[in-house]
Amino acid sequence: MKVEELKAGQEIRYSGKLIVMRDQAQKRLKEFLEKGEKLPLNLEGQIVFYAGPARTPQGKVIGAIGPTTSARMDDYLEMLFRLGVVATVGKGKRSKKAIDTCRKWKRVYFITPSGAAAALSKRVKSARVLAFEDLGPEAIYEIEVEEFPLVVAIDSEGNTIFEE
Amino acid sequence: MIRAHTVLEKVKKAIVEANVKINEEIREIIEEYEGPFSDIIKENYRISKEENLPLCQDTGMVEFFVFLGHKTVLEEPIEQTLNKAVEEVYREYPFRFSVVSDPLFDRINTETNTPAVVHLFQVEGNKLEIRFLVKGGGSENLSVLRMMNPTSGIDRIKEFVVEHIKEHGAKACPPLHVGIGIGGTADKAVLLSKLALTRDFKERNEDPRYAELERELENELNLLGIGFQGLGKGKTVYSVHIEHFPTHIATLPVAISVDCYLCRKGKVIVEG
Repeated sequence: MKVEELKAGQEIRYSGKLIVMRDQAQKRLKEFLEKGEKLPLNLEGQIVFYAGPARTPQGKVIGAIGPTTSARMDDYLEMLFRLGVVATVGKGKRSKKAIDTCRKWKRVYFITPSGAAAALSKRVKSARVLAFEDLGPEAIYEIEVEEFPLVVAIDSEGNTIFEE
Repeated sequence: MIRAHTVLEKVKKAIVEANVKINEEIREIIEEYEGPFSDIIKENYRISKEENLPLCQDTGMVEFFVFLGHKTVLEEPIEQTLNKAVEEVYREYPFRFSVVSDPLFDRINTETNTPAVVHLFQVEGNKLEIRFLVKGGGSENLSVLRMMNPTSGIDRIKEFVVEHIKEHGAKACPPLHVGIGIGGTADKAVLLSKLALTRDFKERNEDPRYAELERELENELNLLGIGFQGLGKGKTVYSVHIEHFPTHIATLPVAISVDCYLCRKGKVIVEG
């Protein structure tokens, strides 16, 4: 299914890859771009999940994981889309600017349940650090999820489920 | 004398419980919720309990409110014991280290989840009462203080609270517990708003005028219809609590703090 076809309010279950990344990692990516350096990862066609997992219990794939507040990272949204990101996943309402950016790039924003991190961790089938390991819980991870619950919060036409 | 070890063990147990076991007051409300993601939210606390996994990946910065009886003698400074408890719990359980050493320049993770924030109040008697909040960053970012005109009155306060929650409530994992601090100085008002979050939902302010304001705010905030996860279904706030304090003739500080839908908190009492 193409992201352009999704409508605000629609509930889906997603299976596939997610790139886990939050505040500090995006700040670093921006610094790489400003210095004209090569990025440590390719974001073309990827979905970014704003999250920072808890520590991994022994023998498990990943620790508790869930969305963090997306609005904090609204200023980096355009950068992500420019790098080829097709959708973002997080929690909560986003700014008017973020909605406009989604419309302009024809991209979507999903929310996934917050405070449900133990349950969501069960839907993660594999996980590996992609970059910035020194950031600990804020490193960039690639995870493979199955039946991950999402609601379209901003669609590619800029319709949103939140009151503006 | 109260042994540090006694306090340590009790506090550790309470912090683990707050992180992995759903608060009973909340479980009842969630059981009734049938909107989007309700299946996952209900599944979550069953898995947390069975596997000792945290309910939320953001296992917070722990904030303590210590009421120390004036006849109580402690083996070591309470802040030391509490930091030790946090460090041990967060190392022993698969919780997230979410505290950085310097807020502005380095932001290097302390990898202990310490320091905790500790507020100490001396009270009468020989009892040590420790209340705490496991405060996630998303809800903490909604904290706000406004220095109002002393003539502002109830309507302006209500307007401030309603506008703030309307604009930002969906970012902090609603339904929310809303704490309001009125009076004192700027810092005192913020502290009061946090103390308000240590109350049980059904408690009401002892002053009937503030109790009425709590009820009115609760109703008005629920009319916003933000709902669970900001998706419009279910409650927007669980409860509103106000703590007040005398203030200067020229001031009316009003602070708002919120707790996320999991409301992770605890209380430990040790007799001296």
